Order: sequence, then C-alpha cells, then structure tokens
Amino acid sequence: MIIPTEVAQSVADPKAYADDKRAHDAFTWLRKNMPLGRAELDLFDPFWVVSKHADILEIERQNELFHNGDRASVLTPKEADRKVREMMGGSPHLVRSLVQMDNPDHMKYRRLTQAWFLPQNIKKLENRIREIARSFIDRMEDKGGACDFARDIAFLYPLHVIMEILGVPEVDEPMMLKLTQELFGSADPELNRNKKAVDDVAANVNAVAATVAEFIAYFNKMTADRRANPRDDVASVIANGEIDGKPLGELEAMSYYIIVATAGHDTTSNTTAGGMWALAESPSEFAKLKANAELIPLYLEESIRWVTPVKHFMRTATADATVRGQKIAKGDWMMLSYPSGNRDEEVFEEPFKFKVDRSPNKHIAFGYGAHVCLGQHLGRMEMRILWEELLPRLKSVELNGKPRWMEANFVCGPKTVPIRYTMH
Amino acid sequence: MAEPFKVWQCSNCGFLYYEAKGLPEEGIPPGTRWADVPEGFECPLCGFAKRDFEMVEV
Repeated sequence: MIIPTEVAQSVADPKAYADDKRAHDAFTWLRKNMPLGRAELDLFDPFWVVSKHADILEIERQNELFHNGDRASVLTPKEADRKVREMMGGSPHLVRSLVQMDNPDHMKYRRLTQAWFLPQNIKKLENRIREIARSFIDRMEDKGGACDFARDIAFLYPLHVIMEILGVPEVDEPMMLKLTQELFGSADPELNRNKKAVDDVAANVNAVAATVAEFIAYFNKMTADRRANPRDDVASVIANGEIDGKPLGELEAMSYYIIVATAGHDTTSNTTAGGMWALAESPSEFAKLKANAELIPLYLEESIRWVTPVKHFMRTATADATVRGQKIAKGDWMMLSYPSGNRDEEVFEEPFKFKVDRSPNKHIAFGYGAHVCLGQHLGRMEMRILWEELLPRLKSVELNGKPRWMEANFVCGPKTVPIRYTMH
Repeated sequence: MAEPFKVWQCSNCGFLYYEAKGLPEEGIPPGTRWADVPEGFECPLCGFAKRDFEMVEV
C-alpha cells in the first residue's frame, strides 16, 4: 500500500496545487487505486493519504482516536519539524490555536468565541456587511469593466469584515493581509516573507516564525488595550476570556487572534475568487444563476466545494485503529485530503463539473465533527450578501487573462483572477 | 391551537433545525417536531448526535 513516488510527490508538493490538475489527477488516481495509501517520501515522515469522502468523515468524527495536536497538524517536512520543536521546547506547533488542540482544551477554547459566530448572533451584522459589500461592488463599477477580481475585491471584502469583527482598525488591514499571505503562502515565491523560492527549509521556518512574531507583537498591544477598554468585538472576548477561571494562556491567546485574523478571511476570499473564476469561464452557468437568484445558496456551496481552500489537515492515531480495512498503528500520521473528498465520484455526480444548481452537495470543505469550521456561518453569510448585491448589477463576465493558483498545500486559492465585465 | 414550531441548534457547529421546514433532503418532511426526528439523526454539518441539539430562540 505504498503510494507510487510520483503520485505522493503531487500530494505533498505546493506546486501541484498551483497546477490544480496535477493535484487532482493524483487524488483521482488514489481514490481509484489506493484510497488509503501510505506516502513514503524522503523529505517527510511517512503519512497515510485519506482520499475518500467517507473515510474523512469517519476519522473526523472520532476526534479522541485521531488527534489534531499530537504531531504537526499540517504536512511538515522532517527538517522543518525538527526546527520547530527546537524553537518551541519540543512542541511541533509554532502556534496553539483550535486546530492544534484536542480535548479537553479544544472544547473549552472553542466555547469561548462560539456564541459570537452562531447564525443568530452574526445576523445582527447583516446590514453592516451588506453596506461593505455594496462599497466593494461600487469599487468594481469604478474600475470601468476590468479588474483583478481576486486582488481588487475578493481578498479585501472578507478581510474588512473580519477585521471589523475582530476589532482591527482599517489602516492595519493591508498589513494583516500581507502577514496572512506570508503564512499561508510560505511556499509561494511571490507571497512568502523572503519573496523567493524555498530552497532552505530551516530559513523558511525562520521566516514563518518571524511572521508569527509580528502578529504576536501586534496582538499583545491589542490585548492590553482591550483589557483596559473592553469593546463589543472578538478581541475583547479573547483578551478578557477565561478558561477554568483563569485568563487564556499567552500562546493560546495569541494563537486565537492569529487564527481569526488569517483563516477568518483567507478561505472566504479564496472561495469568492474561485467562484467568480468558475462563472467567468462558464457562460451557461452564469446565465443560469443570473436568471434565478434563488440559486445563490447552491452556487455558494458549489463554489466552496469547487475551491476547497483548506487542502488538508493532519491527524495522529492515538491507538491502533482500522480504517477501510487497513490497520493504522498508534502514532501514525494521516493526511485528510478535502479536495479529494470533494471530488469523490461515489458522492458527487460529475464531480469535475461546476454546477451552480448542484444538489445535494454534501461537501466537506469546512471539515466535520468537533473541529468543523467555527466561522462557516459567517463565511456563507458574507458570500451570500456579496452575490445578492452583485448578481443584479453584473450583466456579463468573462476571463481577461489567465487566472493563477497560489503554490500551497495547506490553505490555497487563486492569487489572480483577471476579468472583463459589464454592469447594469 | 397547535403548539408553535420551534428551532433546535447543534451545540457544536450551530446548525439550525427548523421544525416548520424539516429537512426534506435528509428525509425529514416539513412540520416534523424535534421529538419525532429519528434518534439516529446526525447534524448534517458536523455529524453530532440528536442529543447534542438544544432548543433556541432565533
């Protein structure tokens, strides 16, 4: 059950996700020939690749048997893992947020902000978010019929929303975007901190650590401010929150800010950009959506499935287990491949077709089980509002150049989507 | 007068089950009271069990 080297390399290589087809070809091969195979590559400790939708659900629902935090929670080269552990006193994590935690901490930390992100709470933000969406659509109109939808709209709109919710002033938004891209684009020479190809793993870990340090310096100041002057924002919840009657641990508090300030917009941006890309290259799907605005919720779910911005998370078996008849040993490392699950031929009819009216659409882009995305309702609401406002004004759209994906195997989306359009 | 329909929420992910709407795509017709939802029901967004839902005001 050892995955052929070329296929395993396509699963691990950030460049394969920039190519998109190369990564999907590898996963299609795996689902057909080796749905739960073991990758043995020189640069990495061995890991299982979980490519089937049903297996991802089974593992995610058993969060005591398959832990997030026992080993690196994203695919990390051996050399980088060694370096991180050296820096972090033996821990494989540079930060300790919800995605690196297991119970009992995970549940306690999740509960801290959960109420904030529930549908009944974010409903009160609807009018304000609509105002923000309209301002971005006005900006699109001002561009005069051509823009880079990724850079001009999709990256900035969810960023502005989450920064208001978190409590970061608008003037700091460009910095937050830059740091987010350095973190998630750490393998991409156009986005990473050193702005060059990664040829030295240790130097890359240092660059990511420097980005994290910059975030921490910023949020340390914010903590002091919100403790002195609490407001109605998520930063105040984190700064003044308590776990078991005590303030959050320092690393945990900083990590909480960082996850909200990064994952809180980047994934929505990726999906928004990718959803526009798909419409721009499929006039018939755009026409179908344009003719029936009631399809917007289905279109959004299809965009989320299509892009699947979170490409994987790793899990570690806490005991010997069996998945799909395969023995998994205690301590084994497993990659849950969400883009693969979301193209699973056993779950989705014509999975490689983008259909604005796909139903049912039981995608797993937000994960499943105890670790399912906390911000999924907000992400959906932001995208719904944007499209409710944009669709009536957008008369036509087509590509105006070649869109490109970023080079990343963890969080990955389009980095440029040039479009030409007319508006009503 | 019939009791008004209620809304139930998954305590893990926040998914809302509206009794009035049911969940036809999961085979639960509109108007199905929470008590009549099968015991084996799982949250469609995160897989948590029926017992992990709470009644909420929306």
